[in-house]
Amino acid sequence: MGIKEVGLIERALSLLIYGLTSLIGVVAFLYPFWLPSLPAAMLIDRAHANDATLLLTVLVFLCFAVLLLEVQSQAINTKTVALLGVLVAINATLRYIDNVLPIPGGFSPIFMLIVLTGYVYGGRFGFLVGALTLLVSALITGGVGSWLPYQMFTAGWVGMTAPLCRWLVSGHGPIVSRREVIVLASFAGGWGLLYGAIMNLWFWPFATGDLTQYWQPGTTPLDTLHRYALFYLATSLAWDAICMLGNILLILTLGAPILRGLRRFHTRFEFQYQPLSAEQVAGQQATP
Amino acid sequence: MKNPLHPLTWALWLLADLVILSMTRNPIYLGLTLCWIAVISVAIHWAGIAVNPQRLLAPFHFGLVVVPLAALINALNVHIGVTVLFVLPRALPLIGGPITLEALVYGLLNGLILTCIYTAFALVNQVLSVRAMVGLIPRAYYPLAIVVTIALTFAPLTLRQLQAIREAQAIRGHRMQGIRDWLPLFLPLLLSGLERSLQLAEAMTARGFASTQAQSQHRVARLGLVLGLASIVAGLWLHLVGPSASAGSLLTFSGIASVVGGLWWIGRGQARTVYRPTPFQRQDWLVATAALCPVLLFLLPLFDRTSLFYYPYPTLSLPEFNLIYGMATWGLLGPAFLPLRRSIA
Repeated sequence: MGIKEVGLIERALSLLIYGLTSLIGVVAFLYPFWLPSLPAAMLIDRAHANDATLLLTVLVFLCFAVLLLEVQSQAINTKTVALLGVLVAINATLRYIDNVLPIPGGFSPIFMLIVLTGYVYGGRFGFLVGALTLLVSALITGGVGSWLPYQMFTAGWVGMTAPLCRWLVSGHGPIVSRREVIVLASFAGGWGLLYGAIMNLWFWPFATGDLTQYWQPGTTPLDTLHRYALFYLATSLAWDAICMLGNILLILTLGAPILRGLRRFHTRFEFQYQPLSAEQVAGQQATP
Repeated sequence: MKNPLHPLTWALWLLADLVILSMTRNPIYLGLTLCWIAVISVAIHWAGIAVNPQRLLAPFHFGLVVVPLAALINALNVHIGVTVLFVLPRALPLIGGPITLEALVYGLLNGLILTCIYTAFALVNQVLSVRAMVGLIPRAYYPLAIVVTIALTFAPLTLRQLQAIREAQAIRGHRMQGIRDWLPLFLPLLLSGLERSLQLAEAMTARGFASTQAQSQHRVARLGLVLGLASIVAGLWLHLVGPSASAGSLLTFSGIASVVGGLWWIGRGQARTVYRPTPFQRQDWLVATAALCPVLLFLLPLFDRTSLFYYPYPTLSLPEFNLIYGMATWGLLGPAFLPLRRSIA
């Protein structure tokens, strides 16, 4: 099998893994919307409602595990491992400071670095920075809980989707344009709201109980979405709005110099260690 | 006293707790589970195993806030049940309508489940050191475990460096007045960190650290992962909207098995050496087996499972109690006997 064919197979496997994990992850994450609308959910006994919730939770964990395994193929050389380790340490320290200081609402400085590293170093790198920041900061602060995989998954998505901003910025080079910073700030602001909305999906069934409570003949996902929107408006919007504003402000004020710094190091990290050929080794040994 | 249980045993115990808490909404079983976790918490504090003894009451404070809050949110959200306490004007969006006792009780149970989950995690956070938790990262994630170890090592250093930069900038007259003033602190921190990562990478390369194992070596395992995921998708579709729920379940569980097998296979190829290994001893087997028993009982339809699914709607009723399930929760008590080892010794 030629190198080209091997590359094609690797690429196809990667694409299939990304596609399938995203599909299952989204379906499992969004179960509060579609589960109550299924007629079967009410026809079967309530015993299975618990089974379905447990099964979908297991699926979210599995998808995250597989996605993480696929993404970690990025971290196979010393430069990436060291860069990731240090960036995660910086971001986790920022989160620790955020926990210690009385900063209002859902403001969190971690998203800035997740978005910017994802944008500059690529989606897989951004995914790892996002997911591992949450893991390391949880280990540091003793905040390991059942919410952690969901936080890691969602923060990973923030970093993974950051390269999408490149489509809106024409010819991103070493010079940071105003447009680039505005696009990234808007993107981070949007994720400030979306992160809260997605994380609420984990908590929502606990806060409002079993979703079959609302079931009536003809219940559709739109009805459930409407209920969730009201719940979100009442309980989380103000909190997440502060997160959104914080992300926008941070990137607007600090984004450009940080982007320049990250790009400069991106160039410095772009070298490969090449093993010496047999002739070169022999030549070196011959040299006194 | 040193934690006498293997980290894996604690992980299995936690998993058993989570499975039981996911499977029941009966307040008696939930109360028993919470009670056993509390007993273990007190026991490990008494034995001096806890990493941070000041946080013994943290779950209690959490419960005091979360249980009434969950009851309130559910009562305001859900307007079914026959015992109406009072009626809010229907013009109010979402919360308008009758506030019922049944919805209040249901909310209380939600809060109780959350408190149980939090307490179990708080306990594990108390007994496992960061090093032990990192050791629990599966072998398939070896590169990530390295990254986490580096990050954990560098985090205190980063904090000290931030302090040093802050002091240096303060000497230059820098004052934190607005968000723009973060730049003279954050940028040197980031750039020096990036510089350090370059040095670290060179040091790691010089010491021979380089994962040269190509991903293609795991191609068969990755194909297994893809097939497993596809099987899960097909199974879910068949189970939820398709013609055969049983075939769907079979496909979903075979897919899950395939994914778990693939992950195990990939991890199998990673050699890991441990400087000071923690042996899995007799007490680990005992605690893990005891925790597995209630899990099997709660998951498998061996006995009448009616009492597990308490539902207060439409009329509030007393929860049923099955002695077998009640006694099964005792299986979670294993770690509570750890201090006895010290007494015997």
